[in-house]
Amino acid sequence: MEKCRIGVYICMCGTNIAKIVDVDAVVDYISKLPNVVLARTYKYMCSNPGQEMIVQDIKENKLNRLVVAACSPSMHERTFRAALRKAGINQYLFEMANIREQCSWVHDDIKEATEKAMALTRAAVRRVELHESLESMTVDMCPQSLVIGGGIAGMTAALELADAGHVVHLVEKNNHLGGNLARVDLTAPYLYSARDLVTERITRIHNNKQVHLYLNSKVTGLTGFVGNFTATLAEQNGSKKQNEVKIGNVVVCTGYKEFDASRITHYGYGKLPNVITSFELERMIRTGRIETKEGKIPKYVAIIHCVGSRSLEFHAYCSRVCCMTALKYAHEIKSANPGCYISDVYIDMHAFGKGHEDFYRRSSEAKTLFLMYEKNERPVIRRAGPKDKCEMLIEVNEKLSGETIEIPADLIILMVGMEAREDSGEVARLVNISQDKEGWFIESHPKLEPVATTTDGIFIAGTCVAPKDIPDTVAQARATAARILAKISKGKIEVDAVYSEVNEDVCSGCRFCNNLCPFSAIEYNEEKKHSHVISALCKACGVCVAACPSSAIKGRHFTDSQILVQIDGLLDPVQ
Amino acid sequence: MAIRINPQLIDVLDRFGAEDVQLCYQCGDCTTVCHHADEVFAFPRKSMRQLQMGLEQKIETALEPWLCYYCGQCSEQCPREADPGETMMSLRRWLIGRYDFTGIAKQFFKSRVTEILAVVGVAVLTGLFLFYYGFTRGNINVYDGEGAFLPSDFIHRFDLIIGSVMLLFVIINAARMWYFTMIMGSKVAIPWWLYIKHILVLPWQFFTQKRYAKCENERDKPIFMPWIIHLGLMLGYLIMLLLVMVFIEQLQTGPAINWKVHIFGYLATIGLTIGTIYFIRSRLSKNYVQYKKSHGTDWVFVTMLFIIVVTGIAQHILHRVGLFESANVMYVVHLMVVVPWLLRMPFSKWAHLVYRPLGMYFAAIQKEAILRQEAISGTFAISIK
Repeated sequence: MEKCRIGVYICMCGTNIAKIVDVDAVVDYISKLPNVVLARTYKYMCSNPGQEMIVQDIKENKLNRLVVAACSPSMHERTFRAALRKAGINQYLFEMANIREQCSWVHDDIKEATEKAMALTRAAVRRVELHESLESMTVDMCPQSLVIGGGIAGMTAALELADAGHVVHLVEKNNHLGGNLARVDLTAPYLYSARDLVTERITRIHNNKQVHLYLNSKVTGLTGFVGNFTATLAEQNGSKKQNEVKIGNVVVCTGYKEFDASRITHYGYGKLPNVITSFELERMIRTGRIETKEGKIPKYVAIIHCVGSRSLEFHAYCSRVCCMTALKYAHEIKSANPGCYISDVYIDMHAFGKGHEDFYRRSSEAKTLFLMYEKNERPVIRRAGPKDKCEMLIEVNEKLSGETIEIPADLIILMVGMEAREDSGEVARLVNISQDKEGWFIESHPKLEPVATTTDGIFIAGTCVAPKDIPDTVAQARATAARILAKISKGKIEVDAVYSEVNEDVCSGCRFCNNLCPFSAIEYNEEKKHSHVISALCKACGVCVAACPSSAIKGRHFTDSQILVQIDGLLDPVQ
Repeated sequence: MAIRINPQLIDVLDRFGAEDVQLCYQCGDCTTVCHHADEVFAFPRKSMRQLQMGLEQKIETALEPWLCYYCGQCSEQCPREADPGETMMSLRRWLIGRYDFTGIAKQFFKSRVTEILAVVGVAVLTGLFLFYYGFTRGNINVYDGEGAFLPSDFIHRFDLIIGSVMLLFVIINAARMWYFTMIMGSKVAIPWWLYIKHILVLPWQFFTQKRYAKCENERDKPIFMPWIIHLGLMLGYLIMLLLVMVFIEQLQTGPAINWKVHIFGYLATIGLTIGTIYFIRSRLSKNYVQYKKSHGTDWVFVTMLFIIVVTGIAQHILHRVGLFESANVMYVVHLMVVVPWLLRMPFSKWAHLVYRPLGMYFAAIQKEAILRQEAISGTFAISIK
């Protein structure tokens, strides 16, 4: 093996590092270590001149290993690996020592911080000596996709992919497409017909040969990894017919369910006949007659917001769509019955979206009476007496006036919030993604990766991620399609060279690792009686390496010897 | 005890001019800019809210509308164009209707036709009566002295009768105002001596309108012109009322001018003329926020005042130049407007002449009573008001 020639760079990070760590002392110390050919400091190693310096040094000094002591590798490891590639050496022959987050930022004693920086850098130098050249591999990307859920999100994602010329398998549990949106009459704030939005999509799906539609069906199995999944689709009716499809990516758009209003006893839902939910009102509007159970036109209508949302007892989150939907109801009820008085009983009016504030204003102009209640002080509904000239009375502590008031009402609409579906846990396990404490699917990064998940090839869109309105849902659905189309057009996917490997000769087939792997990346081969890692799924977390009783699993780039020598380097006294 | 809201009240107040109150979302900007709002009387925000919710009893017993002089700064600042200034104005109109036990005021504010018909009716009756009296008892060509068409002692008696009727209504309505605001509306018991302690507020605010001078708006900082003109108009009116009610016989003493009395008459006329023209011009040009919206009653008010001023001046000139016949006719025309004007007073905007100083007086009493109560009990009494 050729002799190690290590170059070490100590970054000052402006003054972020240099003001606490004596970088010159670190350079002095490190340059005396065995195999270190050169050690330098520089103001900003991540800058273009910093990277250029690395490339030039590698060429001039024939360096074959590199250490940069700077910030966290999650920040700039990619940057320096790119410099290595540019200089023509394998990018894995590199190690970063974090002397900023783990040293200069958390210490104020210069001497101690400098010694710690020396130890961290020395550990990296020792480790890099044992690094091996690794090559990342590529696998084929199957151009077909699976979309789970036939609501507005699923239909949009499916059409987007199909219109780009790829086969999409669209699976819907019900016997029709449209999801929750198909239960709605108009949409806020522009009052477009929801039916139009849905039927346009349904028609396009039926006419598009690239979309293979599976109604009354569920996904019962998903194996494989990004680019190479196999999904089992089972029909839910009597036929028990099963289909197996090969797909490259999965879009999960399983949507939400509405909050069960009878859980709030104050509201008497289920007991008082004229207390109804928003979806029940939608049904009334669609049949063309807004009336009480007794068939009378209501004179006083009250709309109560945040039913199940924004409360300590049920869900702390905001369901996002109810405020504008409530204003839409005020509009629809007032158009149907101009003599009617509408009270809108709310906590806060969330009119955040495009056109929403204007819609709110128009509701005020139409004399909707807005009454504010305290977040955890719910209104109480009771039956009115014979002298009250109304069906029910809502008692509430009205915040803006400071008065305890009674609101007359003949019809009360509860704005039920959104909840994760009861089968969302099942779906999460099936496609191997995580859920938060409320049951919503977790995105890989809430800001920068809103539709990806921690499992490659599994995307999420719409209200299965969190409550959201139609524009946001459609935008997410299209974003998933864009992500998938980018992968398809690349044709192949690169898999990181850092993953664990099972030495099949040593593996006893105990299968401990199979169950421990958080990414379901380890399969058991029944014939050979040993486990093997699906490298494309492995995230190199190291759980299996630590757990294997036979020490049969090796973490590439994180071998035992690499880690042990690094620990030694860290713990040895600085002279 | 929960108070029942009345979502329909907003529709009623719409006819009194509160057309935009529903737009208010209670940000409170109006109260912040108002120079008269304080911790006890946090208007216009609170009044706006009470109106939106239809808390009828709260509004009926409120003093806040009388503490507002409508400088218009709240309406200028309002981010929602809910026009708090105009809302306060319409509450004053509504309150005048509420204080009035006859129900006449309410009808006038609700329907312009009713008001005009009533005014015209009274005017015609007055004209018929005066012409009948003049032609049967006197000579159309004689203005004063022996055989005068409308002798001054007769007019004096006539004025006193009309004035007494007016005063009776005003007193009864003012008593109702006191009962509503101080008995029904006050959340704290009011010690009787506070009425004596603050008694000077009444004449002071009545004669100086100093409170108006505290107002500010974009155009006037402080609001000097509207205040001085408003004051001039009010004082002119008051002097003229006094002259007519008490000194009419000294005014009408024959060819010579009694300067001791007439000098007041001329001063009052200047105040009335300038004031009337200023307010008509403002309402026509809508040049400022408080003149943008004119209720029907506002127009009746300024128009009648204008006719009174013009006919009064014309009558005086005709008399002086010796055209006695025309002067007598003009006199009748003048009285045909003055009589309905005076009789209309308790039922119209002019009633604010009485209610506003009374409101300020009551507010001063209530405020001290509340703050005293607070000091004793240590609780924040304002929050329950």
